[in-house]
Amino acid sequence: MGTQVKDVVIKPDAPATLLLEKHADYIAAYGSKKDDYEYTMSEYLRMSGIYWGLTVMDLMGHLHRMDKEEITEFIKACQHDCGGISASIGHDPHLLYTLSAVQILSLYDSLSAIDVGKVVEYVKGLQQEDGSFAGDKWGEIDTRFSFCAVATLALLGKLDAINVEKAVEFVLSCMNFDGGFGCRPGSESHAGQIYCCTGFLSITGQLHQIKADLLGWWLCERQLPSGGLNGRPEKLPDVCYSWWVLASLKIIGRIHWIDKNKLSRFILACQDEETGGFADRPGDMVDPFHTLFGIAGLSLMGEEQIKEVNPVFCMPEEVLKRINVHPEVLS
Amino acid sequence: MHGRLKLKTTEEQAEEKRKEREKKMKIAVAARDACFEKRKRSVLDEEGLELTKQLLGGNPDFATLWNFRREIFQHFEKEKSPEVLQVLLEKELSFLEACLRVNPKSYGTWYHRGWVLDHMPSPDWARELELCSKLLQLDERNFHCWDYRRLVVSRSQVSCSEELDFTFKLISSNFSNYSSWHYRSTLLPRVHPDTCQQAGRVHEGVLLTEYELVRNAFFTDPNDQSAWFYYRWLLGRADREETVSCLYVSREGQRLILSFSRPVNVLSPSAELVLFVDSLPLMVKWRTAHPKLKHSALWICDLPTGTINEACSEHSFKIHWRDGVVQRECVLYRGRSESWCRDSATDQQLFRSDLSVEKSTVLQSELDSCTQLQEMEPENKWCLLTIILLMRALDPLGYEKDTLQYFKTLKAADPMRSAYFDDLRSKFVIENSILKMEYAETRVVDLSKKDVTALYHLDQLLLVTHMNLSSNRLQSLTAQLSMLQCLEVLEADDNVLEGVEGLCGLPRLEEVSLRNNRIAKIADLQPLASCPKLTILNLQGNPVTEATDFQSELALLLPGVKDLIA
Repeated sequence: MGTQVKDVVIKPDAPATLLLEKHADYIAAYGSKKDDYEYTMSEYLRMSGIYWGLTVMDLMGHLHRMDKEEITEFIKACQHDCGGISASIGHDPHLLYTLSAVQILSLYDSLSAIDVGKVVEYVKGLQQEDGSFAGDKWGEIDTRFSFCAVATLALLGKLDAINVEKAVEFVLSCMNFDGGFGCRPGSESHAGQIYCCTGFLSITGQLHQIKADLLGWWLCERQLPSGGLNGRPEKLPDVCYSWWVLASLKIIGRIHWIDKNKLSRFILACQDEETGGFADRPGDMVDPFHTLFGIAGLSLMGEEQIKEVNPVFCMPEEVLKRINVHPEVLS
Repeated sequence: MHGRLKLKTTEEQAEEKRKEREKKMKIAVAARDACFEKRKRSVLDEEGLELTKQLLGGNPDFATLWNFRREIFQHFEKEKSPEVLQVLLEKELSFLEACLRVNPKSYGTWYHRGWVLDHMPSPDWARELELCSKLLQLDERNFHCWDYRRLVVSRSQVSCSEELDFTFKLISSNFSNYSSWHYRSTLLPRVHPDTCQQAGRVHEGVLLTEYELVRNAFFTDPNDQSAWFYYRWLLGRADREETVSCLYVSREGQRLILSFSRPVNVLSPSAELVLFVDSLPLMVKWRTAHPKLKHSALWICDLPTGTINEACSEHSFKIHWRDGVVQRECVLYRGRSESWCRDSATDQQLFRSDLSVEKSTVLQSELDSCTQLQEMEPENKWCLLTIILLMRALDPLGYEKDTLQYFKTLKAADPMRSAYFDDLRSKFVIENSILKMEYAETRVVDLSKKDVTALYHLDQLLLVTHMNLSSNRLQSLTAQLSMLQCLEVLEADDNVLEGVEGLCGLPRLEEVSLRNNRIAKIADLQPLASCPKLTILNLQGNPVTEATDFQSELALLLPGVKDLIA
């Protein structure tokens, strides 16, 4: 009778210290497993996978262990005639992987490897009349793609290529009763979408349109007794929400509403002492995605062994400083 | 990659598994290569459908393959008759349904289904609605399914009322209803719009029936958080209309200041802000109180010299905003140093719910019910928070003591949210101070010893001359504090201040006390250099006073400060 609180229990012998070296080794070795089943099955997101791996390595100070030349050539081969970039060779272009590619090349300061002008054209061409963005020519609309569009253009210094006012109008039309945002107008609030929309509003200088206290409350209520964060009410905690939720809170100036000690404990418990890397929750299988967001979450909370991460772009702050991109953040 | 438990196996089991995976991988790679090959050669046929089907069945997130399938169907659209196409697309729907049963959360699968329906000669939207209902029975929180349902509803023109009934059914029979309550929040204002046409708000009569519905939900299960979230929305207010809440003029400062009901940017091309002085339009430059603020509730213009002069017995100042839709004016008489026209927070019911008296009695009984529930469930933090919100809605000043007591209980019941509750309590404390200040008709705000952790409603404090923030838990005086353009004296002793960002460009600020804080570097005091009238500064008990050359460095930074206490 009644709803039980869905949560995990952290075992007393769960990892409690940051195993940075193990994570660096895990990521360094990950790309070499090209004959692995998991690796093949995830080819459809390879570009994002590379972005996750490189970013976490850079945050940990181990970027030099990755093969810059190989990756740059790979990205070149993934840019299509329309300007858009695909996840891997032979796959179709999409905004998701266009952003990941631009993020990688920004990390490497190698944007000249691709035709930047065509990327801008591609992004511009995906904006719809109502201001929304399709992910690709097939027309799926989602606020994730609004974020991908402005983040890509901001990194290239070409935000004015699109109709920013209309884009803002669309994202705001996705704001819900609880202050959160969903995929499309009328969609339920979800931490991932909230991250995309707050990131979008930060880049477009419209953070004052957010109901910061209301949204901040919804976000801080994602923290469960285990200390971990879920993505929306009555879901299990997941390390990746340490990023989506925490970054959103940082952007709207309310990160202090989370109990940092308890969250840290949860994130550290998601580490795998044997293999390195982070899993979604303690005891599960690790992967680069959760490894990045565990490390990035710890960075947001001030972990000194990790470089400062930018909450809007999920890239090292020093990279954004280099390219002079400074999205607004509320205090 | 979510929810996959890591199991330990023997070496033998591990080797067997490895072989199996290698086999699976080789098959997947071969199929993928075959698909890519066909596509390269622009071969769009049934075999392509077969090949992609195999792969998508096991890996529905392989988006390129859905694209390929669509290309094949687009080809069929040209080549085949509508009847044949219909049959083929019906088959596609069966395939998609099988995919959804295995993985109901793949963006690609759902999008493709919508695409198929949109390309079918005879789409059966009623069946789609039924599919959604069935899948929602299995997982009421599947947002993909809800979004698809909303697509179906818009294509087949199902009414909002029908959908409202659907949510009612789900809420009445299930737990885990957040998605339903959310949907309701979008439907209710469309089916029963507020009579004053406030966007997103609900007609008052219906509102009260809705209160009952929600109350039943959280009484049945006090731990069902979705009901409590929804209830908070019901208690909330519509967004304030964008208007000018205060127009202020200073003779000495030759300055005119506007306070808006929410942050705006008057410098944007569409802004249309016009100033009339003595009935004549005057071109002026507007600025915010702090360079950091691009959108602000406060805008300042420095009037050209001679605009205000002693020769005139009076000057009239008028503002047109939004093409004259909003107008504000005030008159500055000779001999008066300042003048203003301001909306009072009390009259505006800024801090309480604007319900009619009879409806307030209903809320009062809601409060009584919640208080009873709280006695039965003393640990339930949702109930405690809701009681506080109801008290604020009904009578912020009358319930002041009770509210503070409930916050103590709330923090004990939910310590993880302590920082949030502290800030929320601070907001309410400040609201009450503003109401009391208006009642007393003074321009002095005393917030000392009130355990304040954050500053709110600074846009309401434009006229304040004296402010006491001492003995609180403030970490910073943020840029927003620069909106206190009339501030003359600030006391902020015994806090945990690391910076004074907001004490920037305050034209009338004369005296500042920052005893026993955490100001560490001279550079932290930089903003004070832009306060032209600052003469008295107390920095006792701050680490900065220990710095070498403190006195000389400070004299360089703040030459105007004649009375330094350190």
